[in-house]
Amino acid sequence: MGMAKPKNGSMGLEVIPVQKVFRNLCPRNCFSTCAILSHVENGKLVRVSGDPAHGFTRGNLCAKGYAYVERVYSPKRVLHPLRQFPRGSGNWCPITWEEALESIARKILELKGRYHSFLPVGFCKQGGNMGLLHDAANALFDGLGSITVTEGNSCWSAGLDAYLYSMGSIEKLDPEDMVNSKVIVLWGVNPAWTAVHQMHFIDRARMRGAQVVVIDPVFTSTAAQADLYLQPKAGSDGALALGMAKTIVENAWHDQEFLAQHVEGYEAFFAYLTSISYDWVEKETALPVEAIKEVAELYALNSPAAIWNGMGLQRHTNGGQNVRTILTLAALTGNLGKSGAGLYNPSLALWDLFSYYTRDCVTSRHPVGHRKININLLGVELKKTTDPPVKMLWLAQRDLFQDAHTGSLRSALEALELIVQVDQFLNQSSRYTDIFLPTTTQFEEWDVVPSYWHHWIGINEPAISPLGESKSDLQIAWDLSSKLNELSPGVCSFPTAGKEEEWVAKEFNQDINSSLGIEDYRELLQGPRKLKWPQVAWEAMKFKTPSEKFEISSLTAARDGLPLLPVYSKPASAPAAYPFRLMTPHSQSGNNSQFLNLPWLTWGTGEPCLRINPLTAKRLGLSNGDRVRVYNQQGEILLPVKLSATIGEDTLVCFQGWHGSGEHDLNDLVNGSPTDMGSKGSGRPAIAIHDTFVNLCPA
Amino acid sequence: MRQVGFLVDVSRCLGCRACEVACKNYFGLGETQRFRRVEEVEWQTENGIGLFYLSLACNHCESPECFRVCPNRTYRKRRDGIVVHDAGLCDGCCACVKACPYGAPQYDADTGKVDKCDLCVSRLDAGLRPVCEEACNNGALKVIFLDRIDETGLLKSVPTLPDIKITRPSIRFNPPVVRKQWLSKK
Repeated sequence: MGMAKPKNGSMGLEVIPVQKVFRNLCPRNCFSTCAILSHVENGKLVRVSGDPAHGFTRGNLCAKGYAYVERVYSPKRVLHPLRQFPRGSGNWCPITWEEALESIARKILELKGRYHSFLPVGFCKQGGNMGLLHDAANALFDGLGSITVTEGNSCWSAGLDAYLYSMGSIEKLDPEDMVNSKVIVLWGVNPAWTAVHQMHFIDRARMRGAQVVVIDPVFTSTAAQADLYLQPKAGSDGALALGMAKTIVENAWHDQEFLAQHVEGYEAFFAYLTSISYDWVEKETALPVEAIKEVAELYALNSPAAIWNGMGLQRHTNGGQNVRTILTLAALTGNLGKSGAGLYNPSLALWDLFSYYTRDCVTSRHPVGHRKININLLGVELKKTTDPPVKMLWLAQRDLFQDAHTGSLRSALEALELIVQVDQFLNQSSRYTDIFLPTTTQFEEWDVVPSYWHHWIGINEPAISPLGESKSDLQIAWDLSSKLNELSPGVCSFPTAGKEEEWVAKEFNQDINSSLGIEDYRELLQGPRKLKWPQVAWEAMKFKTPSEKFEISSLTAARDGLPLLPVYSKPASAPAAYPFRLMTPHSQSGNNSQFLNLPWLTWGTGEPCLRINPLTAKRLGLSNGDRVRVYNQQGEILLPVKLSATIGEDTLVCFQGWHGSGEHDLNDLVNGSPTDMGSKGSGRPAIAIHDTFVNLCPA
Repeated sequence: MRQVGFLVDVSRCLGCRACEVACKNYFGLGETQRFRRVEEVEWQTENGIGLFYLSLACNHCESPECFRVCPNRTYRKRRDGIVVHDAGLCDGCCACVKACPYGAPQYDADTGKVDKCDLCVSRLDAGLRPVCEEACNNGALKVIFLDRIDETGLLKSVPTLPDIKITRPSIRFNPPVVRKQWLSKK
C-alpha cells in the first residue's frame, strides 16, 4: 500500500518528501497485537500511528507502541554481529556474519562429534516476538534432530491448567462482546496498563449500565475506574471465590437447570461449601463478609456477567486451584455460552487456524523428539542435565534474568562453552553471551502475528530495509542451516534459502482465508480483517472434558495428584524473617524485559522505586525517597521507597523489569517455588513469582 | 477573548502515557523532551484511596510567564489564546524554563534550544485534533474553547497542580472520583 502526500513546495523549490505508509503488527507478548501504520520518508521510519481499519485497536497504540521509532533507531540497538571476549568483560567486538555463523556451526558440529549427539545444543525461546515466522529458530534446530529445548512457560501455565481441568480447553471469546456484559469482574488484571484497548469496550458496557468490579491486592489504575473494588490478601483469591460461591448457593442464586445439564460434581462442591464459614473466609481474605456478599450478589443477579482472570493471580503456589475456584462461579450461575457472559483468558485457538508452515517446516516431514528442560528453573536444570550435558545455548529474544533463581543461573551460564543471543538490544543475559546476532524489528521483515485476545488478523510487511547488518530470524535460520550443511553436508534439514513473503503466504490456508473473507493474504495489505468466528464461546455447551460437562469435580485433576474439587489450598505465607510479600506487576511503560531501555518511556519518570504502605513506612521510620536494602535468602537489591496506600501493609511493589547497575536484578529475590499447576498444558509448572517474601532495612 | 485550552478528565485518565509518547512520536522529540507528561497523584480520602493521573502539557496561560520573561521575544499568544514559541529565534537561555510553573518549555541539549507544546496548531488549523487527544484511549483529554464552555462542575485546579494564580492556565478538570472500595482489613 502506498499513500503519497501531495508535493506542495512553496515556489516549487521546497520539496516535501513523499511519505509512504506501510502496515505492521506489534509482535509483543500482549493482549492487543496492535495494527500499526508506519510512515516512511526516504527509506526512514519517521513515525507510527494506529491503524483505524483495526476494529479492536481502533487507530490507537499504547505508550510502548508509540515509542517504536525510538526503538528502531536507538543508538543502543545492535546492528552488527558481535563477539564478547572475554565473556562478561563488556568488550564487544564486531565480527562478520560469516565469522559468527562459522563459529556457531563449528561448535555445534564439534559438540556432535564429542558427544555423538546434538543434545549438548540448548535452545530457549519464549514470547520475545510472537510472529509466526519467528518459529524459524525452533524449526532450524528441529532440522538437526534431537537437541535440548526449554519447556514450560513463565506466563500462564497454572491458570491454563485450571481451564483444562474445568473445561478441557480455553475457548476464544470475542473481547468486543464485553460491551454486552451487565457485570464485568476484572480479577487480578490491570488492562488500563496492560491491555489498554480493552478499556474502550469495558467503558462502553458501563455506558450501557454495566457494573465493573476490580479484585486485586494492588489498587491499580483499573481499580480507580471500577464501580466496586475489593482488596483481598494476595493468594487468597480461592477463599474469596468460595465465599462468593457459598453466598450464591445459600441464597439459591445459582442456576439449577444449568448445573443439572452442563456441570459435573456440583453436589459434592455444595457439600464442601457448607463446611466453610464466613469467619474463615474473612480471615483468609482480610475482607469483611459484607464485601464478599456484595460482589457475590452483583455477579449472580446481573446476568450476563463476565470474569476476566489475570495472569498475576495464578502466579502463586495455590494459583491454579484459585483460578479453578473462580471459574466455578461461572458454572454456578450459568454465565457461560451466552453473549456478555463468559470467562476471559488468552487463548491460542486462532493461532491453530494457521498452517504453522514455519514452525512445522521440519517436523511435518519427520517428527523430532527433543530433550526438554524446565524453562522456569533453567540454572538448576542446566546443572543437573548430564549424559550428555548442555554445552551451548541459543537465546531467541530472551532475557533469562526475568526468571527465578538467578544465582544458579549465573553459575550454570558460566559453565557453558558457547552462548548465542539473537536480539536487537543487549540485555541482562548478555553478560554471559559470547556471540550476539542482530535481528530485525517488525518494520524490517515480513510476518503474520495472530492475537491471543482479539479476532483481527493483519499482515506485517517490511516498511524499511533491515538496519545495519541485522537479519530476520528466518534469514538467520536459513543462513545457519546453509553454513552447517556447507561444513557437514546433509546435517541440517531446515531450508538454506527462501523468500520471506512466500513463507508468510504458506502460513495462510483456505480455511483461514474464507474465515477472513479473502482470496489471498495480500488483501490484508489493504487492512486487517476480523475472523468469522463465534462471538460467544462454549455456545454448544460441549466441553472438552471427559464428561463433556464443566467439571467442578475433576477426576483428571485427581489423577494428576491435585484435589478432586476446587477446595482451598493454603497460600504461601511469609516466614518470620521475611515478613513482606514483594509483588512485581507490569508498569505501563514496559513489556517484561522490553522497552524499558528507551528514554522516551523512562526519561523524567524517576528512578524505579519500591512502593510501601505509609503505615509500614512510619513503623520503619522511612520517608519518600529513602533508600532501602530489600533482601531475602537469595539476594538483595537497593531501591528508594515511595509511600503508597495502594497496597496493604504486608505488601511491597516494584514494577518488573527493574535492573540495578552491575550484577543485581529484581529477580535475584525470586526463589522459583513452582505453582501448583502448569504441567498439563505447558509441560511444567510456572513460577510462583508473587509468593516472594523479603525484609527491608535502611540502606 | 477567544481562549483554547485543555479539558482533562482525571476521573477517566488511565495513566497509560499514550498521549505523552504519541506526542514524542509525532514531533520526533529528543530523548529529554516531554511536551506532555503524566504524573500519578495519590491522596487519602474519607472513602478510601484517592488515585488519579494528571496529564499535563503547556497550559497556554492567560498570562504566560514564558512570554513575559523571554528576552528574545520568541513567544507569541495567538488570537485564539494558544501560546506558540518560535524556536528559530531561541538562544537557549532557559529564562522561560525557569519561569514556567508547569515545566512546559523544555531545553533540548541536541538543538541547544527550548521548545514546548503548541497545542498542535498546524493540526488544529487544518481541522484535526491534537495528537495527544487523538491518542487518548479513554477520552480523558479534550481541546476546549474556554470562552464558550459551561464551567459548571469543572475544576480550575487539582491536587499537585502548581499555583494557578500567577499565570491563569487555560486548563480545566473534571473532578477525580472515588468509588466504593473494600480495603484489606490489615
